[in-house]
This record gives sequence, C-alpha cells and structure tokens, in this order.
Amino acid sequence: MAIHGLWVINKAGGLVYQRNFGDGLPHLTSNEYLVLAGTLHGIHAITSRLSPTGSSSGAQEICGETFKLTILLTATGTKFVLLTSLVEPNAGSVLQKVYEVYADAVMKNPFHTPEMPVRSEGFDARITALIGSG
Amino acid sequence: MTIHSLYIYDRHCVCVYYQDWHRTKGPRPAAAAGGILPAVSPAVYPRQEEPTLESASTYSSPRNTLTSSSGVVVAINDEPRTPLPPQMQTSATQSQNPSSILTFDEEAKLVYGVVLSLRNMVRKLSGKDEQFVNYKTSSYKLHLYETLSGYKFVMLSDPNADSLRFVLRQIYSGPFLEYVVRNPLMKMDSREHGIDNEYFRMSTDRMIRGLTVFQ
Repeated sequence: MAIHGLWVINKAGGLVYQRNFGDGLPHLTSNEYLVLAGTLHGIHAITSRLSPTGSSSGAQEICGETFKLTILLTATGTKFVLLTSLVEPNAGSVLQKVYEVYADAVMKNPFHTPEMPVRSEGFDARITALIGSG
Repeated sequence: MTIHSLYIYDRHCVCVYYQDWHRTKGPRPAAAAGGILPAVSPAVYPRQEEPTLESASTYSSPRNTLTSSSGVVVAINDEPRTPLPPQMQTSATQSQNPSSILTFDEEAKLVYGVVLSLRNMVRKLSGKDEQFVNYKTSSYKLHLYETLSGYKFVMLSDPNADSLRFVLRQIYSGPFLEYVVRNPLMKMDSREHGIDNEYFRMSTDRMIRGLTVFQ
C-alpha cells in the first residue's frame, strides 16, 4: 500500500509533470523519466491495436513483480500515470482525483501554457494534500 | 473469462509458435514474403482463398514454397492435423474493415515490441532485475513468462483473469520441455523453423482447455 510516483503525460507523449513519493522505487534522472514517458505513450497506442476481441482501450494497468503502473487516459489525450505497489486497490480513484486537481489548478490557471511542463505551486500543494509529501 | 492466444518467441526475437482459442478478431494471414517461419501455426499462413487481401507479389514469391511440407524433418508438421475445432473467426473477420486488422507477422512483431519495451521499462523503473508480468486493457490482458534461455511465452486472456504466469511456466516445464526441447528432430534456435509439432500443440491445447479460466 504505497504510492511511488505520479506522471502526467501530454497528448504528444511529453512528460509535463513528474513527482516521486517515498523511496519505494529508485529515483531516476529527469531525462530518463522523459524517455520512459515517451515509451509508455507509444506502447499505449500499440496495445489498443493488439486486441484479440474487437476494439480495446490502451493499457490501463501494467504490472511488474513488485509495483504497477495505473494509467488514466482522459478524453483530451492527457495521460495520468500512478506508480504504486501491487496491492493498491484505489489507484484508479486517486488518479481520478488527480485529474480533478489538474483541471482546477493547472487548466484553469491563466498563466499556464497548454501542453507545457506544469510548474505550479498550487498544483504541487494540492497533490501533496491528496497523496502525501515525498 | 477465457484465453485468447499464445505466442512463443525465441531469443532471436522470432515468433516460433502461435496458437489461438477464442479469438473473435483473428489476424489476417501473414504476407507471404514477410517474415514468418514455417511451422509456427497452421492458422496464419498465406491462404490462396483470400486474393483480395494480399498484394500481387504474394503469389509470385518463391518463398511460398516454404509453407509446403518439404519432408526435411519428419517430426515437424507444417500442417499438423490438430483436433481443434475450426475457428469462429472467419465471419467476424469479414465483417470488419480488412485494413484495420493486422496481418499475423505484423501482429507478432508488435506483440514482441510491446513486451520488450515494457520489460526494459520495468527493469529501469525498479532499478533491479525485476520482470514485467502482465498488462491489462479494457478488453484483454497480456501475460509474459521469460525463461533463462530467452524464450518468451506470451498469453492473451480475458482482462479479469488472474495472473497466468504459472500456466506459462507449466507450458514451459511440461509440453515445451517434453516435446520441443527433448525432441531430437527439432532444430532449436535455427532461425528458419518454428517449433510447431502435433504433440506439442495437442498437449498445450489440452492443458489450456483444462484450466478453470478457459470456458
């Protein structure tokens, strides 16, 4: 029951927000996170084409042996990715709340440029309130 | 709950075996000049009955002869007589736009690419030698089991299925070792031949059909 990290990926596959919580996973350099986010964006697109039965969404949950990534794709193409331990039943609802916070603190901010990295203290503070500090 | 398909890749990134069960959206047969090996699966070789789907070069290609059984290796069946019932895919396939359906060789490469990228990603994120286990979308779940020798067993199942890694391991330790590794007529690692043979296919089929998730 631990949340390791949160990513926000814009519709072009760029990482616009990344934050670690705790030391459950090693902290990588920001460049490595950018590459991983780009990879995930591509994989997500391919997974929706591999469906053996009719149409499919992209990957929603990717599991390793000790952690998983839960992915929320919004209608506008922004992806919210939560890195958690394997047993984290409410990862989906946390992501939904992150989306709400993002809509309030980022998209309604007149000084924010769409598709650009999120640098907003308000967003940071509200994420801290939601998930905890890290 | 059900199981859709099974892919086996060797360490050279080549698909050496394929089998499917409940697939409502089957792959198109592979392009003849493209890359699938003989003896991967009888279901996906270029078929003569579908001239509209393939380019004209399909039939002029000399590599078409690869699919006919050349009689080189006796125990490897290019067209095994499996007891599988005919797939129900044909009607569903025809109702969809053919260009939106991948050919088998494209699909096999995409599956491999996804699995490899996710494996590297999980390894990078975990910082240690952690394996990628599975991922889930709204309509299917993909499971991976990788052996030390580099064989990758990939299975697509219903999204609500539990982890099927143990099943893939069972396929490896049971039918795969028994009928592929211990088969003296099987050219492992050949890069030119799949591993399909009648015993392996039947025993895998029996094992999968016996699972509780298979219905």
